[in-house]
Amino acid sequence: METHEAGSPSGRRADDGAASFGERIDRMSHTAQDAWKRTRGALDDIKSTADIEGRVNRHPYGTLAVALGIGYVLGGGLFSRLTGRVLGAGLRIGLRLAALPLLKDELFGLAEALGKGGAEPGASTGSHARRRGKQADANKEMEP
Amino acid sequence: MEMTREMEDTARQIGERVRPQIEEAKRRLAEMNGQVTGFIKANPGKCLLGALAVGYIVGKIASR
Repeated sequence: METHEAGSPSGRRADDGAASFGERIDRMSHTAQDAWKRTRGALDDIKSTADIEGRVNRHPYGTLAVALGIGYVLGGGLFSRLTGRVLGAGLRIGLRLAALPLLKDELFGLAEALGKGGAEPGASTGSHARRRGKQADANKEMEP
Repeated sequence: MEMTREMEDTARQIGERVRPQIEEAKRRLAEMNGQVTGFIKANPGKCLLGALAVGYIVGKIASR
């Protein structure tokens, strides 16, 4: 059967087809292996360049937070209402924290001013009263 | 004066009562922190992929 087919032109064509098919499969497997090797090499390069393990060892929580943020952005949550709320709350808290020292200074200044104002009536019995008395005496002398 | 002293005594008593609990909570938190950081350092890839996935899901939910 084989000799008959191999002798005929159609049998030769079938042999050529089988050979080329096998070659193709070999080539495909080689290409796939090459691609896999290259991908692994690229991943290793990325790992060594990004120093992911070192980063995780140095800042475990920070790296996780960055991964969480990247996932959030990839999930399309960047331009959402939740992001707006979170950013708004953060901005509000930040502004309050920044304004707190200023407010404290202002309040201390106000309290000091009020304290001085409250102390003045007591002071008027002392030096202020004396000054007022002297002024009254001078006015009396000036009067005809 | 008397009232201030009473308040100081009360505050001191409350502080003495609460201090051991705070110390215990601090110790537990430090222990937990050590366990979590240890796990993250032992499995960095898993943790990063998990965080990425969680962030992606939260982002998807938020964008709806």
